[in-house]
This record gives sequence, C-alpha cells and structure tokens, in this order.
Amino acid sequence: MGKIVGGFLVPHDPVMFVAPEAPAEDVRKRMWGAYDACAERLAGLNATSAVIIGADHYFNFGTGCLPQYLIGTGDVDGPLDVLPGLKRQIIPASEKLAGFIADHGYANGFDWAVARAFTVDHAVAIPDRLIIDPVRARGQSIGTIPVYIAAGVDPFIKMKRAIELGGAIKAAVEAMPDDERVVVIGSGGISHWVGTPEMGKVNEAFDREIMDYACTGNLAGIGGLSDEYILENGGNGGMEIRQWAVAMGAMPGARGEVIDYAPVPEWVTGLGFVQLFA
Amino acid sequence: MSRNVLEKLMHQLCVDRTVKQRFKEDPEGLLARYALSDEERAMVTGFDVAAMQKHGVNAMLTLGFWTENAPNRHPAAYMKALRGVASEGQAFSAGLKQ
Repeated sequence: MGKIVGGFLVPHDPVMFVAPEAPAEDVRKRMWGAYDACAERLAGLNATSAVIIGADHYFNFGTGCLPQYLIGTGDVDGPLDVLPGLKRQIIPASEKLAGFIADHGYANGFDWAVARAFTVDHAVAIPDRLIIDPVRARGQSIGTIPVYIAAGVDPFIKMKRAIELGGAIKAAVEAMPDDERVVVIGSGGISHWVGTPEMGKVNEAFDREIMDYACTGNLAGIGGLSDEYILENGGNGGMEIRQWAVAMGAMPGARGEVIDYAPVPEWVTGLGFVQLFA
Repeated sequence: MSRNVLEKLMHQLCVDRTVKQRFKEDPEGLLARYALSDEERAMVTGFDVAAMQKHGVNAMLTLGFWTENAPNRHPAAYMKALRGVASEGQAFSAGLKQ
C-alpha cells in the first residue's frame, strides 16, 4: 500500500537564479538555506516518489490547449526555461505511480490530461533540483511526478477543485498496491505580481494568512478565498496558492510548520517554506 | 475583440524561435497571418504592453514578449512602458531576464 509521508510548500522563484545577489546577504542565505532545510527534512522521510504541483506560466501550454490539471506519466526533463545555475537535465520519474494516479482518477471522476514525455518549467524544476536532487545524491532513489494546474492562465482551476484534486492524489496513492512512500510538494506563491504594474510589491499580511491556513490544516480557510481577494492581495502570482491547496488537499488534517519566510521585493516575491506533517 | 489571437501571437513570440525571427525581420508580414485589428497590430509593433494588458492579455505574456523581443529588453524599460513613468532603480528590476 502506498502512503503519503509528508509534504512541503515552497516557492519556485526564478529571480533567485537570475539575480542571486540582489537581496541583503542574511536574507538570501536564509532563503537558499530554507531549500537545504527542506532537503534535509525530506531525507528523513525515506520517500520513493515526489508529486510536485506547479502552475503553467503561459509557457508550457499555449492558447491551443490549456488544461485544468495535468500529470506527467512518462519521461520528465527540464526546465524548459533554463536559468543561470539551472540547466536542463533528465529528471528521474516515477512512471508507474504517475500512470496509476491518472488511471485511478479516470475511474473516480478526475479526467487528467497527461504528458507522456514532458519538459517541465521552473515551477517543478526548482524544487526538484533544490530539494530532491540533494537527497538523490545521498543515494535515495526518488522519482518525480509533475502535476500542473491552471493557476497562471485563465480559466483558473477553482480552489475547491484544487483541494479535491489533492484528495484524488491521496486516494490513488493509498490504492497503489506497491509500498510507495510519497511526498507532495506544492510549488508556488506566495504573494507576487508578475509582469503587472505592481511588480515588486510583496504583501506580508497575505503571505502570513496563507501560511497560517497551511500550518493549521485549514482547508476551508484557503478554499474559501475568492479569486478577487487573491488577485487583490496576493497578485496574479498569488493565484499559485492553488498548488498549496492541492498539497494540503492531499494531506487533510495535517499540521504544518513554517521552515522560513521572508518578504523579498528584490526577488519580487514573498518566499514561504512550510513542511506538512503526515 | 481578438484577445485570444493576441495571446496566441504573444505566446509564439515567447517560445518559438522561428516566429521571433520572422517578427524581427518582417513584422508586418508576420502579423498579416493573424486576425488582428489595426489597433492591435499597432500594440504589437509598438510594444505597447500597457495597452495589451488593458485589452486583457495575460501579464506573463506581455513580460515574456518584451524580454524576448523588445529593442531594449531591460526590465526597467518594460516597467516604464507599462507604467508610463520612469521606474529605473526599483528593486523589481533585479528579477527580470536581462
């Protein structure tokens, strides 16, 4: 039987790679160190697979096809958008479990779009590289399963559906005959404005509200936020709390702990790192 | 209203090297392939990202379009075009593709 053994909610800020020296030294050391802390904690979970939930940035998908939610069931590599210090590479996948999650969804009301050979963008590549790769380097074999949800491009997935999607992932993992130990990683947020006139603004109050929902397992709280509220207070990038909602939905009742947080206008984002305990 | 066509073009101008090259060499020829109004064509050739956003184009696309195609790709130039005021020196500029 498979089980979800833990979760992480982390940012995927490309600006950290583009302008690594921009913030004050103590801040940037803390933020890079938060990824190291996630990796250290992941190593202790003895995971076999990691489901990383990201959002399309109008990059992987164009106007011809905009899936509400998609799972990579085959080969994975990335990122599509290479960055300084983040070159494209093959990402070890977990194809059997990914295919099982898709099939389980089809039988239970979740019609996943699938990517059978998928080049992920930075939304999945950053947490994979900074959190999972260091654990692989220690000798643990962890396969990545990319999930993309519509949080960057409208029509946006509904918050309620995002939480339900997490539940579908949980149900599939628990129905998996193999002894998979699965970690879910909600990748995105928290407040940031991407490409809009407000770019560079960070809203710490909003960020702390979202982290509080995560730490208290408050699915009703995060699920009850309207798109208007999120856009006003968290920016268009704040819509990525949907990825947090998916991860939280996969771990109902789980409590969380803030590993670190900083509002970093130099990196145009409120950077929050939370661990969810199974 | 052809926001969708504009977004299609913007997406291609972000990710498709061939389309980007054609835009650089023959913008009018490229744009003739898209069902855009004169006003919309002017937004594209004039890099009027503010007008495009008011038209409903996704801000990630206007940012990508600018950083991949504008004569001056510097983030401060994008913000100036977007805000209509000088914005050099703002912290956000560190974050955009040089």
